[in-house]
Amino acid sequence: MVPEMGYLDEQFNQLEELQDESSPNFVEEVVALFLKDSPRLLSNIEQTIGKYPQDFYRLDSLVHQLKGSGSSIGAVRMKNECSVFKAHCNDRNLEGCRRSLQKMKREHATLKQKLESYFQLLRQVGPREHAVNSRK
Amino acid sequence: QTHQHINPSDEFFAVPYFCSCCSGEFDLLMAAASPTQAPAMTLPAAMAAKVAPSPKPAPAGDRKVVPVMTDADEVVVQVQVQAELHVLAVDDSVVDRAVIAKILRSSKYRVTTVDSATRALELLGLGLITDVNMIITDYWMPGMTGYELLKRVKESSELREIPVVIMSSENVPNRITRCLEEGAEDFLLKPVRPSDVSRLCNRIR
Repeated sequence: MVPEMGYLDEQFNQLEELQDESSPNFVEEVVALFLKDSPRLLSNIEQTIGKYPQDFYRLDSLVHQLKGSGSSIGAVRMKNECSVFKAHCNDRNLEGCRRSLQKMKREHATLKQKLESYFQLLRQVGPREHAVNSRK
Repeated sequence: QTHQHINPSDEFFAVPYFCSCCSGEFDLLMAAASPTQAPAMTLPAAMAAKVAPSPKPAPAGDRKVVPVMTDADEVVVQVQVQAELHVLAVDDSVVDRAVIAKILRSSKYRVTTVDSATRALELLGLGLITDVNMIITDYWMPGMTGYELLKRVKESSELREIPVVIMSSENVPNRITRCLEEGAEDFLLKPVRPSDVSRLCNRIR
């Protein structure tokens, strides 16, 4: 089972390689941490965008966190959209930030759905070892 | 007196031991013990006379064979288990903490994770974390940055010998230079991969 092309990069594979008998569900656990943490960041970003006067420094800091954790699990589309957002912060382009946030929220929802399906499928095909090794 | 060279299996770990009768190494099979136990094994005296221990410098994680003479004219071989290397990982991201901890544990390191530099200094200062062989820290954290943590560690007489590695998602040459000049052991770009860490840890060992 190959992760969806374009949504996840090599980092995701690296995490799967780390899985072993001592932590057979490592990737799913890390993804769960990300999916629990990221909505909070998205919500903080949304709140901060709504504030006046604009606090681009804080916005940048929040997106930086989201970009970091996204890239740690290999969420390449989210990572790229965060970079776009950061560029808008740099330009103090509020409208750009708003558009980017909407994109990030859509990306996040799609990613969450795909990851959850992926892990569900892995459970269905049988023992974790088979599912992972068949990719090697 | 004969002896056997036996291959280790999962149940046993082999202790390299130098044998003067065949001038080579043979492996004493010891029942796999927990890392904190020090199993002892008794060799018959006749064999002991021919065996000359030649312990090589044991890297952390290996077992060192130490022969101990007893009154019963036997040699009791005690195995001292070297402690695993202890790494303190500092990162405000819960995802990144999980990833770096897993990467390190897969390389057989003992890992303590904290979510801030101030917390790290607190625990180190209070002696609540001890025997730290390496600190690996994110650069950009709210409150105290990893760079500031690096400086504090290098300024401290108790802590300055501990190698500090900085991680960052941003490739900023000035930042890298500054960290290295301040005494950082290395600078890793995030996302951190197992190969980055093993390359690094080979130097720390």
